[in-house]
Amino acid sequence: MLNLLRKDFIALKSSLWISVLHFVIFSVTFMPQLDTSLYFIGIITAFAALSLGTAIDIKNNSHQFLITLPIRRNQIILAKYASAVIYAVFWIVVSFAVHWLANIIIPELGKPNYSLADIIISIEITLVLASIYLPLFYALNKKGATVINSLFIVSFIIFAQPTTYMINNINESGFLNQLTFLFPVATLALFGASYYLTTKLFARRAI
Amino acid sequence: MNAIEIRKISKAYPHFTIDEVSLDVKQGYITGLIGPNGAGKSTLIKLMLGMIYPDSGTVKVLGRDMPQQEVDIKQRVGIVSDEGGYYDHLTIHDTKKLIAPFYEKWNDAKFNRYLEHFELSPRKKINALSKGMKIKFSLAIALSHEAELLIMDEPTSGLDPVFRRELLDLLADMMLEEKNSIIFSTHITTDLDRIADYIAFLNRGKLIFNEAKDDVLNRYAIVKGGPELLDADIRKEFVGIRETSIGFEGLVDNKFTAKQLFGSYVVMDKPSLEDIMYFTVKGGRIHA
Repeated sequence: MLNLLRKDFIALKSSLWISVLHFVIFSVTFMPQLDTSLYFIGIITAFAALSLGTAIDIKNNSHQFLITLPIRRNQIILAKYASAVIYAVFWIVVSFAVHWLANIIIPELGKPNYSLADIIISIEITLVLASIYLPLFYALNKKGATVINSLFIVSFIIFAQPTTYMINNINESGFLNQLTFLFPVATLALFGASYYLTTKLFARRAI
Repeated sequence: MNAIEIRKISKAYPHFTIDEVSLDVKQGYITGLIGPNGAGKSTLIKLMLGMIYPDSGTVKVLGRDMPQQEVDIKQRVGIVSDEGGYYDHLTIHDTKKLIAPFYEKWNDAKFNRYLEHFELSPRKKINALSKGMKIKFSLAIALSHEAELLIMDEPTSGLDPVFRRELLDLLADMMLEEKNSIIFSTHITTDLDRIADYIAFLNRGKLIFNEAKDDVLNRYAIVKGGPELLDADIRKEFVGIRETSIGFEGLVDNKFTAKQLFGSYVVMDKPSLEDIMYFTVKGGRIHA
């Protein structure tokens, strides 16, 4: 699996700036507007990075190449789920760091003091989204997968505002703090079930 | 010993079926897999590599079951095709860096030697490679992880004659190592006239024959004669026949029976693999 993660890094090396650009654009857009910008900037950038990592495999029918390497099909899937965790942790921690710095450098932005629970919730939401996205991506052919990639990103942009409003309301009621420790179990169960489903879908797919 | 053993493999698509194909690819030899476009050659190769799964039947490669032991198999198999599915924005050097760690027997020095031999610059991007260069690159990859079995899907189609000949010489070199085997799918049968030991002929998803090339060429014959020799029963003796107003030319699959039947009334020629493929695919009567 490490070789597959390394493979993704080499294949994406020249596109890493795109994720950085996403992060900058989302930060400039959401930070002044939303109290929950920590969530959205981290989640959307992590998801866009995952989407970039999957898109690169279908661009040149690279599954055809991957399948000829001495690895099992389920390892290809496992590596993508591991990537989802890496992207989620990395971009959400970066988002946290930028918000923390912003609080010090530009206090007039009035960002709230985020906690570890906020980081955990953001990672969990990203993993829930990945759990829905990855089975769809691996079940569909090249055309379908491209549509799914676009659909997810567009949905993020459209639903960002209403979802923020909802999270804000839940946050203020204190309900989110209670869920913080319930979510990990449910998220892990969903992530595991999603992995199982994706391996089943990909195992019999003609490449 | 067989490098590949396929037993009663079937795979059905809406408009095409691989129908109970059994095929042995002998270890230590070059087997040419011939057939017209759409005969099922690429499907059969994908079945060998576990890229698609059969509806029924079994595949063994280098004595191991596919797909149960696919990792072991792929460590020892090299795949050569111009549609490698490589990441085309990467350079040859980056692609090598990406592939090498997957193979236990990767030989960097050998890879660099092949790049030099094929005049491929490591800095060149995959999307800047011509079809011939892509074949050279995938051959360099295959040979650098000490593959014992090369599976080549139409490696010579679209190549210039100079590199085609160079490629065939390289394959002949690889066969100096006794344990090495090659299966080479093509519809350009002249390449196989030069290097193949065995010929497997696939047509419309069915295996027509899989025999030593010399046996095939000795068994079949092209028969040429006048139209007065033909009647309904005689026509049935031909695998395929081409008739004109001045005579006929047909393929028989038993030269000795045909000699007894026609005696000295006809001219008999040794067929090429292309003749065998042409008449078998066309079948019945062809009017020119």
